Amino acid sequence: MVLRLYFIILCFSVTSCSEEIQTLKIKGSDTEVNLVTELAESFHKSNKTSYLSISGGGSGLGIASLLNGQADIANSSRELNVEESELFRKRGIELDTFVFAEDAIAFIVSPLLLLDSISTVDLAGILDGSTNNWKKLTGNEIKINIYGRQSNSGTYDFVKDKLNIQFSTHAKEMNGNAQIIEAIKSDPSGIGYVGAGYVMNSRNGQIQNIKVLHIRPDKSNKAYSPLDSNAVFNHEYYFRRHLFQFIRKSSASAAAPFIAFEKSPAGARIIRKSGYYPVKIF
Amino acid sequence: MRKKKTHILGWILLLGSTITICSFLFIIIFHLFSQGLPVLSWEFLFGHPKEGLTKGGIFPAIIGTILLTLITTVFAVPFGICCAIYLNEYAGESRLTGIIRASIRNLSGIPSIIYGLFGLALFVQSMRLGTSLLSAGLTLGLLSLPYIITTTEEALKRVPNSTREAALAIGSTQFESIRDFVIPQAMPGIITGIVLTIARVAGETAPILFTGVAFYITGVPGSVKQEFMALPYHLYMLSTQHQSIETVRPLAYGTVTVLILIILMMNMVAFYIRQKFRENE
Amino acid sequence: MSTRFRENTDLFFSKLFKVTGLLTLVLLGGIFFMLLYNSVSFFLDVAPLDFFTGNQWNPGSRGDYGILPLIASTILVTLGSMLIAVPLGIFTAAYMSEFANRRVQRILKPVIEMLAAIPSVAIGFLGIVIIGPGIAKLFGMQNGLNALNGSILLAIMSLPTIVTVAEDAIHAVPMSYKEASLGLGADKWETLFRVTLPAALPGLIAAVMLGLGRAIGETMTVLMATGNSLAFPDGYLDSIRTITATIAIEMGEVPYQTTHYYALFAIATVLFIITLAVNLIGEAIAKYYRKFGA
Repeated sequence: MVLRLYFIILCFSVTSCSEEIQTLKIKGSDTEVNLVTELAESFHKSNKTSYLSISGGGSGLGIASLLNGQADIANSSRELNVEESELFRKRGIELDTFVFAEDAIAFIVSPLLLLDSISTVDLAGILDGSTNNWKKLTGNEIKINIYGRQSNSGTYDFVKDKLNIQFSTHAKEMNGNAQIIEAIKSDPSGIGYVGAGYVMNSRNGQIQNIKVLHIRPDKSNKAYSPLDSNAVFNHEYYFRRHLFQFIRKSSASAAAPFIAFEKSPAGARIIRKSGYYPVKIF
Repeated sequence: MRKKKTHILGWILLLGSTITICSFLFIIIFHLFSQGLPVLSWEFLFGHPKEGLTKGGIFPAIIGTILLTLITTVFAVPFGICCAIYLNEYAGESRLTGIIRASIRNLSGIPSIIYGLFGLALFVQSMRLGTSLLSAGLTLGLLSLPYIITTTEEALKRVPNSTREAALAIGSTQFESIRDFVIPQAMPGIITGIVLTIARVAGETAPILFTGVAFYITGVPGSVKQEFMALPYHLYMLSTQHQSIETVRPLAYGTVTVLILIILMMNMVAFYIRQKFRENE
Repeated sequence: MSTRFRENTDLFFSKLFKVTGLLTLVLLGGIFFMLLYNSVSFFLDVAPLDFFTGNQWNPGSRGDYGILPLIASTILVTLGSMLIAVPLGIFTAAYMSEFANRRVQRILKPVIEMLAAIPSVAIGFLGIVIIGPGIAKLFGMQNGLNALNGSILLAIMSLPTIVTVAEDAIHAVPMSYKEASLGLGADKWETLFRVTLPAALPGLIAAVMLGLGRAIGETMTVLMATGNSLAFPDGYLDSIRTITATIAIEMGEVPYQTTHYYALFAIATVLFIITLAVNLIGEAIAKYYRKFGA
């Protein structure tokens, strides 16, 4: 009797039951993961035969998964770098690229810090560790605590490349945007970077106990906030970027319905609600 | 006078340590349950996550954990029992047996993340199973193998030799004596071992990290080739990576409460079986 | 059923059972081989000297593969956890074995088992919600994610192992030793500290080694609660990144068969060897104990 039960379970384990279920594996950027989750949730309501599995872990993970054949779509908050493009070419994997939203990176500090705006030069000095005290900028002798991401994060790479620096090794590497926000809330000496979408939660308010720095690009006196949508659209805010999805050409047809949904008005509504700027606007 | 001082010191050290450890357990359980139990509701246990996991339930994670442990058991238990039978019933005290026992002891000491790497290399890559329930389940199966072998062997050892001899005396082959007499008698101990293994496997996160677990799935896994959600990973995600950590903190408490309740329940089942078994002895 | 059929079945199964026994060797060998193979692939790209003496682990941007910060972090946090867990564990074991009455023992044993049953994610979660903030408040820091947090959590995880094995060791000290000591006029405390515990020492060391092995191999707890910063740690209130956390964080992001991928297997091999060594030493001591003890 037990043996019979056992074999039934064994058979379930090794056979695939329903062939009509469309399975899509989507992996990658933590900046995008919540947005894509909400998009998938909505998508599934009208497409019951779809099965989407979504994971975060960073843009690097998404792209690597694409390379390794463990994903159909990679969410990435950055472009492919040279090594990655080379690897894709070498392994004969072709990709479609889809820009599905526009994002801004917010640099956040505690409201207690006497600083409202910062130039990109000073910011670079802080993040690469050459300035490790707030004295120069605020007059107070406080050691700076950097809360950043890990090397698998597209956000990490984006900030690094935009400022052309290597991060200080004393920067704390948090597991995600949320941990950075929590850390800054309780650390008056901290500075961190998160996707602006995280600072504006879906109720279109702002998270309390966080101050978003205005950024002054080089050679300019005007500082811009990432929460100012015009500044982002007009490319005046320095740290703005495209949010990508890379799709394996071999999975293109399976992914098509979902991509279409993302481009649709319903999709755009969800993107806007999450604090990003749908590309349609451009 | 001096004796009084050592007495007092002794009591402080011993009783103090014991009370400290007990209080660890009680503080942990109290804190987690006090925040987590209020979160449990029909919707939480049977609903799907909604609105980017900030609302709704953890049903797919519960199902994922159950399916995972099912697959683990299906593959590890037969192997483990056969190996234990070999060690206890057939093998002599040869050098080979010693090496096998040493291997099993070493296998049980290997960190779980290395099992995860092995599962990644073997199941996900070489066997091309991809990131899936199957890969993760098999990886956890390997992880639990040493434990099942050890507990089964102990259960077999407790069966008196008189049983085996009696069976052989009435004309059974060795295999028949094992199948019809030894195993049924050892069954409670074997089942206890399996239940405890399930309790351990349910809480494992590291091995499933790169073999198939996902942050969110739109339904419930219908095939073992699909990715899945699982309770321990869900807890990890909610507490470190989620977008609105404060909003989902209660959900995290609820998740850890469900996870610990499942594990405690399994432990109590094993305890109950062990008790009943001891009564019959 | 013919005798021939039954005999053949018997033969078949005896061979089958032997094969499964050998499969465990295959498994261990397979794991070791996989680690070795990929580590060798790593050392074809990066010099072993740089790996073992380099003090930067920064694979992506700079191509630094120095393992020292990871080892330092691992040592820091496991040492800390042993400092907490060993006294607590051994004294509790002494109490359970020598002083507790039947009723208390029947409560304590399940308590220890339940503590052991709590999964590592739950302990890590605790580090984020209670112990981290507690440490932060205590030391006036902003963030409690550091080595101290990790040490406390790892101590909680290895305590059940230490207590159980130590309790067995203390309990197995022959009654004759204790009776002789009491007979000579010592009270039970002097007996405990001067006779019983020293007699159980090999078993106690074995308990510590097993607990240490658990702490070194733990992943989720340190991943969640220690901050994961790559710099060389400079104290217990500093954020650390252990070998296990590094593997967990970086494994998902590496394309297969690249240098970084192999590097992770290389540190996994180091981890494997360390835990193997710790467990083997513990076993050897336990064997010595069995020869001279009860």
